Amino acid sequence: MYNNSKDTIMKVLRGEAARGDPVPNFSGMGSITLHGIQQLGYRFNEIHVDARKMAAAAASTYRLFGFESAIVPFDMGVVAESLGATVKYYDKADLGQIIYPTMTRKVIDRAVVSAPEGLSEADAKTAVMKEVERQIEEYEFRMPPDVANTGRIPVVLEALRILKREVGDAVAIGSWTLGPFTELGQVMDLEILLKMSAKKPDVVKRHLSFMVDYLDKVLNLYIEAGADFVTVREMGATSSILSPRMFKSLVLPALQDVFGRVKGVPRVLHICGDTNPIVELMAQSGADALSVDQMNRLSETRAKLPNVVLLGNYKPFGAPFCEGTPEEVDAMIKASIEQGADGVWPGCDIWPVVPVENMQAMMDAMKKYGVRVES
Amino acid sequence: MATTPEQQADILERLKNGVIEYDEDSVVKAAQEALGVEMDAYKAVMDGLAAGMDVVGVYFASGEYFVPEVLMCADALYAGLNLLRPHIKMEPGKMVKGTVVIGTVEGDIHDIGKNLVKMMFEVAGFTVHDLGRDVPLDQFVDKYMETDADIVCMSAMMTTTMIGMPVVIEKVRAKNPNARIMIGGAPINEDIAQKWGADGTGKDAPNALQEALNMIGVLRELGDQFKTERVQKEWGADGLLDAAKA
Repeated sequence: MYNNSKDTIMKVLRGEAARGDPVPNFSGMGSITLHGIQQLGYRFNEIHVDARKMAAAAASTYRLFGFESAIVPFDMGVVAESLGATVKYYDKADLGQIIYPTMTRKVIDRAVVSAPEGLSEADAKTAVMKEVERQIEEYEFRMPPDVANTGRIPVVLEALRILKREVGDAVAIGSWTLGPFTELGQVMDLEILLKMSAKKPDVVKRHLSFMVDYLDKVLNLYIEAGADFVTVREMGATSSILSPRMFKSLVLPALQDVFGRVKGVPRVLHICGDTNPIVELMAQSGADALSVDQMNRLSETRAKLPNVVLLGNYKPFGAPFCEGTPEEVDAMIKASIEQGADGVWPGCDIWPVVPVENMQAMMDAMKKYGVRVES
Repeated sequence: MATTPEQQADILERLKNGVIEYDEDSVVKAAQEALGVEMDAYKAVMDGLAAGMDVVGVYFASGEYFVPEVLMCADALYAGLNLLRPHIKMEPGKMVKGTVVIGTVEGDIHDIGKNLVKMMFEVAGFTVHDLGRDVPLDQFVDKYMETDADIVCMSAMMTTTMIGMPVVIEKVRAKNPNARIMIGGAPINEDIAQKWGADGTGKDAPNALQEALNMIGVLRELGDQFKTERVQKEWGADGLLDAAKA
C-alpha cells in the first residue's frame, strides 16, 4: 500500500501524473466485499439505508485490503427512489445470497397500467404500451423541494461526511450517480423510452433536460458532503444498446450539460459494454477521466486518446477476479497496466463475493507492476 | 381463394420487409392479405415474420441496428403474429409442442432481452409461461414442476443479480437432473453457463438480445427437427445452441 494513495489518485484524475509515479488501484463505483461486511457483522440490506453502516462498509475495503478509495452508495436506486420510484430491499437469511436494492415500481410503469376490459390478450398488451407511451409524453418531472432531505440522499450525504472524517486523509472518497439517460430508464419504462429515443427524440430530450438539472443538484450535494471525485455512470447509452449516432445526438449533449455544471472536483464518465465506437465522443463530454469496462480495447483507446485520463478495465466479476486463482488475478492486473490504464479500476461494481486471496493478489500485483511508464 | 406462388412470395416478402423496416402498418396489411388468400399461417409466420427477424439479427450483429431499432422490429413482428397465430393449424407433427418457463431473476428488473427470447419461443409455437421480472428464485422451480416444462430460461442483466442463477439451477436439477436450463443476459457467457451447470447460453452473448436473435435463425433452420411430437426427444441437451454456434 502506498502512503499517499489519495494524492496519487487526485494527481491521476487531474491528469498531472508523471513517469515513475505509482499507478493507483481504486474505483468510483461500488467496491464492497462480503468479507468486509461479515467482519463488521452487518446484513447486506442494512448498508444501503443506515449512514454509519454504509460508511463502515465502504471503508472496509480500504481497511482490510488497502484499496485506495471509499465509495458510496452501492445500489442504483438512490436517485430513482428520490424521484418517486419504489425500491425494494431484500433481507435474505443467507448472507451469501446478495441482492442489491432494486426498483420494483418505476414512476411510469406498465405494471400499474390496465387495458380496457374485453380485449384479447394481444390487443390488451398493445393498449397498455400505447398508454404508457402517452404517459411518458405528457409527464412533467417536478424538482423535489429539498433534495438533500429526499429519499435516501441524506443517508448518502451523511455517509460521505463520516468517510471524510474517518478515512478522508488516507483515501479518495467518491460518490456517483447514473447518467441522465440511464437514470431516465430507471424511472420510466425502459423499452418504451428506447423506442421513443428513435421515434420521438424531442420528448426524451425534454426529460433529459430535467434529469440534468436534478443530477447537477445531487452531485453538487455529494461534493459538498465530502466527495473528492464523482463518477457519472451512463451505461444505458453504451454501444451495446444505443447507436453511436443516437449517443451523439441525444446523450452526449446531456452529459456535456452535467459536466459543464458539476465542478470543483474531478469528474469521471463511466460507460460499460461496447464503448469502442464512442470513446472519442466520450472524450468530448467534458469529464476529467473516462472509465470503460473489459469490452473496451484499451490499448486502441489509448492510441486514439493519448492525452485523456483512462481508467480501466479489469472485469470485477466471474473469472478470474472472483473465480480464478491469485496468479490469474496477478496477470489480469498486469495486463490492465500494460494496456495503458492511468489507474487500475474495475469495469463495474466489484462483485462482493470476491475471495480474500484474490483481493490480496490484486493489491500485491500493484506493488509489482504499479509504476507509471508514460509521463 | 386461389393464389399463385408469385402472390404468396410477394406477401411473404412484404411481411419480412415490414419487420426489417419496423413498419407495423405494412406488416398488418400483408398479414391480412395472407389470411384473405388462406395462405398457411404457419408459413407466413416462419417464412415471413421470422425470416425478417433473422435479417434484423444480422443487422444487430453487424452494428447496423441497435436495441431501439430491434424493439421496433419486434413490435412489427408482434403486430403480424397477433393476427396470424389464431389461424395456425395445430397439426400433429408440424408444430413444436414445447413448454418454456422464463423470467428475469430476483433483484433484476431488466426484461427487454427476456421478452425478445420469449417472442422467439412464441414464434416457434412453444407455450411460454412468463414469470416476469424480479422473480423469486423458488418461483422458477415451482413453475417448472407445475407445468412439466421442457426448458427453464433465466435472464439477468447485472453482474450483481446473476448470482441467483446457480441457486435455481441446483434446485431444478435436484427435482429433475435432465431438465434443460438456459441462461442469458449481459454478464453471462459460455464459461459461466458451463460452470453453473446450465445447458447453454449464447456463444459469448454480449447481451441477451443477440442470443435471442440468433435463436430465430436456428429455429427456422431446424424446421425438420422441430416437426417432432416432443421436441426434447430429438433435441440434444444444447442442440439448439450448438446449431447457433455453427
